[in-house]
Amino acid sequence: MLEGTLLRDVLDKIVDVASQRFGAEYAEVRAQKLRRTSVTLKEGHVEAAKQGIEKGAALRVLVEGAWGFASVGSFDTEVLTEAVSDACKMARGAMSKLKKPIKLTPTKTVEDTVVLKPQKDPSKIAVEEKISLALNVNNAAFASDRRVKSCTVNYLDLTGETHFVNTDGTFITQDKLYVWLGVGVTAKEQGAFAYSREAVGSTLGYEVFDLETPQKIGETVATRAVRQLEAKPPKGGTFPVILAPNVVGTLVHEAFGHLAEADLTLSGSIISDKLGKKVASTTVTFYDDGTVEGAFGSFRYDDEGVPAQKTLLVKDGVIVGLMHSRETAHQFDAEPTGNARAEDFRVEPIIRMRNTYIQPGDYSFDELVEDIRFGYYLKSFKGGQANLDGTFQVGVQEAYEIIEGEVREPVRDVSISGNTLETLLKVDAVGKEFELWPGICGKGQSAFVSDGGAHTRVKEVLVGGGA
Amino acid sequence: MEVLEEQHMLGLAEKAVDLALRTGADEAEAFLNQNLTRSVTIEIGQISKTARIIDRGMGVRAIVKKAIGFSYTNVLEDAAIEETVKSAVSFAKASKPDKDWNGLPAKKTPASIRGTYDSRIVDLHSEDLVKAASLMLDAAKNADKRAFPVEGGAGTGCMSAVIANSNGVAATDKGTVVECSLATIGREGGEVTPECVEFNFEREYSVDPEWVGREAARLAASALKAKRIEAGTMTVIFTQFALQQLLRYTLMMAVNADYVQRNQSALKNRIGEKIGSECVTVIDSGLLEGGIRTGKFDGEGVPQQNTMLIEKGVLRGFVYDNYTAGKEGKESTGNGSRAGYLSTPTVDATNFRFVNGRKSAEELVASLNRGLLVYSVQGAHTSNPVTCDFSVVAAPAWLVKDGEVAHAAKAAMLVGNIFEVLKNASDLADNTRKVGQLVAPWVAVENVKVIGK
Repeated sequence: MLEGTLLRDVLDKIVDVASQRFGAEYAEVRAQKLRRTSVTLKEGHVEAAKQGIEKGAALRVLVEGAWGFASVGSFDTEVLTEAVSDACKMARGAMSKLKKPIKLTPTKTVEDTVVLKPQKDPSKIAVEEKISLALNVNNAAFASDRRVKSCTVNYLDLTGETHFVNTDGTFITQDKLYVWLGVGVTAKEQGAFAYSREAVGSTLGYEVFDLETPQKIGETVATRAVRQLEAKPPKGGTFPVILAPNVVGTLVHEAFGHLAEADLTLSGSIISDKLGKKVASTTVTFYDDGTVEGAFGSFRYDDEGVPAQKTLLVKDGVIVGLMHSRETAHQFDAEPTGNARAEDFRVEPIIRMRNTYIQPGDYSFDELVEDIRFGYYLKSFKGGQANLDGTFQVGVQEAYEIIEGEVREPVRDVSISGNTLETLLKVDAVGKEFELWPGICGKGQSAFVSDGGAHTRVKEVLVGGGA
Repeated sequence: MEVLEEQHMLGLAEKAVDLALRTGADEAEAFLNQNLTRSVTIEIGQISKTARIIDRGMGVRAIVKKAIGFSYTNVLEDAAIEETVKSAVSFAKASKPDKDWNGLPAKKTPASIRGTYDSRIVDLHSEDLVKAASLMLDAAKNADKRAFPVEGGAGTGCMSAVIANSNGVAATDKGTVVECSLATIGREGGEVTPECVEFNFEREYSVDPEWVGREAARLAASALKAKRIEAGTMTVIFTQFALQQLLRYTLMMAVNADYVQRNQSALKNRIGEKIGSECVTVIDSGLLEGGIRTGKFDGEGVPQQNTMLIEKGVLRGFVYDNYTAGKEGKESTGNGSRAGYLSTPTVDATNFRFVNGRKSAEELVASLNRGLLVYSVQGAHTSNPVTCDFSVVAAPAWLVKDGEVAHAAKAAMLVGNIFEVLKNASDLADNTRKVGQLVAPWVAVENVKVIGK
């Protein structure tokens, strides 16, 4: 990689071209070098051990209120100059149709270098060790139960550095580090099939596997799959439910979080006219927090050079904040929240979540369950999706019946759905124990995030499943 | 950044293969692709962004004693390529042998295809896209005041791909795409509809942005005044969007040889069995004229082809790449799919085509006494990939009464199993279109369980 100061000279020159030659009111360059190692294992055989190196630059300019963006796989001054010129010309071409010019909220300029110091740097660990880690997960899953029939393990680490320069005078050099392991197993018995998956993710380092051991990951995912074989379908209808941190996290992320991404709020999401209003029961407080040490959605600066922060979205049931970029912050007359993230140099930053959760309350698990005569305990999520009108669906891979205040038989392929605002008003108790779970969120681009919180009771929600 | 010609890219690929063999690989393959994309983005009702992205790179597979290593780079300079090749070979050496490895594909003549490249698309500029997006927006606004454009845009892509391997495979392909799309929501008196999306996505230059805008607005307006519907079992007409979402995480995986061989498909050992109604015929159509996934060869250099999967309800076959085919002593069906230079090939369908029926879409709706017309579903990705059970929200959807669309239906849940859907498919319309990988008309399915309030 080019040395910091040398690169800075190049990048400074590029933003100067945009502002001086093309009259851009704002310009930024994000130059990245990324290194990825991944291993895929299927039933213990290595499909391929993979490694790649990417480098490239993203150039974004604002010319008379319109954005222009270009991405190239090069740090060459000439190539970057041509690309930034193109971006400026394109922006000027789009400007004619612009009704409301885009403006950015001013931010403090930053000069900083963020160096990560992992205990175990994944880029320094031999691929053989990563293969054997994946193999140990595989072996633990198969050893756990003879009904386990297939096991796919995906290991990924991503390391690298980002250099960010803009016309405001900000210059940030920031290390990037992600470690991820996902595993999926199928179990089979007399024509019955079950599937389960589990993931571990961290921004600390490879040391995450000292805590989340391959043995533990393999056993968890296998046990869950096997239990599903014995599970019965749920009754369809409206019931009280307890959502484990893993499931309530998905609900907070999908059903509320996306609606509170200011670009989607502006697009007319169901909460667009609810700012400052009560939308949930008073037990509900939501945060999107980019500062949780080691969490999968944490980082120091976003891709507009704004420091990550802990953003309060809902306080005691009232919407008090949104997630912003500099652009949406200006439209809402708010402060940017450090939520502008880009997957890599090929794409521009957009508003993304970080670590999103419901703040814990003071109920023990037993207290949450004891009042339920019939309902469901939804323990582990499969995925979820929501629409701007507030309709959500969350699929669950591990669930149990609750009868007379006790968690009983497993049920399979449950999903819940409803309207976000109606459902949040029905939250009546939140537990004590706090957990975050890693995930990969898709919004055109992928972003590493986490979500969670504490066990949450919902008085009633539509439960589907059990074909 | 200058654009690389296919022949130049092929030269780099062949050089990389040679170097890998000299560095100790028993077999080697190099895949290069280059994508030039232009786009304009609509946000919150106006055109706000224009972008141009050049992305290209090389991925190298090296095999040493049946162990596979892979490395990629987006820097196509000699030193970086050399480093990439060496890294692929050293990763193969570090990896573990796969006893089922049966070699890279043999050299074959690439397929003949049509309708996948149009030089008019190559010549389009940002200004042309701005104009198209602007026409689309105006058309939406004029169509209905209650419809609000949320997001969308217009774009073009010029793609080229080349592959070379140590068995003498050396092939090049190039293609184009052009698209415009608009997502709208309907808003009236506090009611907000689900997002309603319409688009054109074509390989040749034939898009109608005004139609896209009008249709997106019409859909959003007609999704207003939604009412809850009663729970029960009814006939559902799935449009292509809903069908694509449902099949992507179920049937398309169930016919994938990798899933079949690894006990992850409910279709294992069921070739020749009736798994759907008479009216269901599905062909993986790698050669479809103008198909989104049509190409001369797949991600491993095997010629693409058309493969019968379900014929009049009877399961006939699966899709294979070279590796899964080898495990069964078969030939690859040209389904070694590749997301680009960053990835190794994986088995995937190409154009997943349902043979259409005879009725028009209107006639299909008119044939229902009571049923649901479902445009889109939420949560399909949470389907059980093995059993193919699904539990999704239908939104937007409309209730059909006495052969006519009566009103929008509020967030009903559909619960079922994709094989039940195939068995209960009663009729297909003739309005075939391409949505993602799916090429299909509207499909009517009886006895779908709907959970409402």
